[in-house]
Amino acid sequence: MTALLSITEAAKHYPSGDSMVRALDGVSLDIRAGELVAIMGPSGSGKSTFLLIAGLIDRPTEGEVRFGDRRVSGADVDLDRLRDFRRRTIGFVFQNANLIPFLTAIENVALAMIMDDVDAEDAHAHAEALLEALDLGHRVDNLPSRLSGGEQQRVSIARALANDPQLILADEPTAALDSVRGRQVVDLFRRIADERGTAVAVVTHDARNLDLFDRVIHLEDGKIVAREGHA
Amino acid sequence: MNLALKDIRHTLPRFLITLLGVGLLITASVGMIGLYRGIVQDATLLIDEIGADYWIVQGGRAGPFAEASVVSSAMDRRVAGLEGVAQVRRFLQSDQQIVHQGEHRRATLVGLDLPTDDGHWVNLVAGRHLLHARYEVIADQSLGFGLGEHITLARDRYEVVGLTADMINGMGDGLLFVSMNDALDIARRKENEEILLTRAATGLETTLTDSKIAAILVDAEPGLDEAQLRRAVLSWGDANILSTAEQRDLFLNQRLWRLRVQVLAFTAVLMVVTAIVISLIVYTMTLEKLRQISLLKLLGARNRVIDVMIVQQAVLIGLGGYAVGVVLAHVIFPFFPRRVVLDPSDLALMLLLVVGIGWLAAQLGIRRAMQARPQDVLS
Repeated sequence: MTALLSITEAAKHYPSGDSMVRALDGVSLDIRAGELVAIMGPSGSGKSTFLLIAGLIDRPTEGEVRFGDRRVSGADVDLDRLRDFRRRTIGFVFQNANLIPFLTAIENVALAMIMDDVDAEDAHAHAEALLEALDLGHRVDNLPSRLSGGEQQRVSIARALANDPQLILADEPTAALDSVRGRQVVDLFRRIADERGTAVAVVTHDARNLDLFDRVIHLEDGKIVAREGHA
Repeated sequence: MNLALKDIRHTLPRFLITLLGVGLLITASVGMIGLYRGIVQDATLLIDEIGADYWIVQGGRAGPFAEASVVSSAMDRRVAGLEGVAQVRRFLQSDQQIVHQGEHRRATLVGLDLPTDDGHWVNLVAGRHLLHARYEVIADQSLGFGLGEHITLARDRYEVVGLTADMINGMGDGLLFVSMNDALDIARRKENEEILLTRAATGLETTLTDSKIAAILVDAEPGLDEAQLRRAVLSWGDANILSTAEQRDLFLNQRLWRLRVQVLAFTAVLMVVTAIVISLIVYTMTLEKLRQISLLKLLGARNRVIDVMIVQQAVLIGLGGYAVGVVLAHVIFPFFPRRVVLDPSDLALMLLLVVGIGWLAAQLGIRRAMQARPQDVLS
């Protein structure tokens, strides 16, 4: 199957004083549609840098990033101009749900669509359907402060799904949840990958739910040191 | 979905307190401008309302407002004989400290030269004009006298037959209008001992001969030759002539100059403080939302979504503060001892300034917001 996201020999170097920090050092990775991939590694291993580059938020110092047939890295690529592309193709889920505190659950989800010029009424209807699918139908009008940590995380997943993205990037989405809630979230990603064909890459420290992933990539010192699961 | 309004609704009590703070600053700014307008209007009230074309004053003086002036008691007849003069009126004003029902009140007495000047120019809001030549008075409301009340001036009892509104002199004292004969009696009032001493020293009955007339007001005929009139008056040697415009200029730009500049300087300082405070509020509100702005950027929001949110909040703070400020000004200032004039053109200018300040403050906020990076959400 063709790779949805293809990262080839990506490196990211930061100057730090007189030396150069190699946050990512020649990483190559393909992620296919409908695949659930875990990116694991200790602190400083390059997981967050990988997420920034995969999310088209930062560009690699070296190497190439392609999204489908489109090259999305290189000095000639303006990341700010990729904002529209990012909005339509990539969904983000964070360790803390990062919901906008003054918007209700349904508004948080609908906002992602309204920003993409979807009619407000249609956006609300779709957001409600998404929240209902995630068992949050009774919480649509609640502000984030009235939701539990697990509910907030599910709202953020609904938000990530709002524009029907091809790729979801999740940064430690289970870190703030107990084991039961954490597994529910990963199980939700599994369903999203299976039922929607969405590629999901999850940066995680949590080794408890690795059985649900198709592949596990281990990063250390900016390099892939191990790959588990089918390539 | 209006993010600015959603945010405001989420933190409504805080937003309302902010509006109150900005509103009070705007009230103070509006008040300083209004105080300035009040001082100018009060100062020029008599000059403007009395409707004379020229003021004949004491020779070598620029009275009666900028400095003291006394003209001879026959000056009015001399002026009346000049070519092009339609009508003359004697002018007299004197400051009075009145004790009424045990309370001290300051007033400025103005003589109306009946019957030539029946006081039709006085802004009467209750009662009537002077009908009789003696012992009637028209008082400004600010003095607190009631219609039909009797007050004592120079040992005589006067009945309040009319009330005026906003007829105040440059120092903020309410005006009292009496007939010229009464005004002269009051101005000439002396203690018995003083009369006896003057009589013994000079052999003259000074109470009757003291002029006390400050100026002669001239109403000109159409086509009056001003240069000729000036030459004639100045040729007498004991008189000077000033046009109404010159009187205004003398009072505003000579006598009240320092006070006006002081008030305007305070107004300018207040406006700068208001601008800084609004800017800081908007900037701080933006700083508090930086993480959400980073998140919006990460989610792919266009810059315009963020710009509109910041500008709308800044303008809402400005407009809301302005509304609170103007309402407070209308409620509070009538109770102030000096007149505060809330001129519609000043209020409109203030509105423009506030919107402008809000917009500029928003640009500061937007500049900071544009520095927010989407990756900051992940940190």
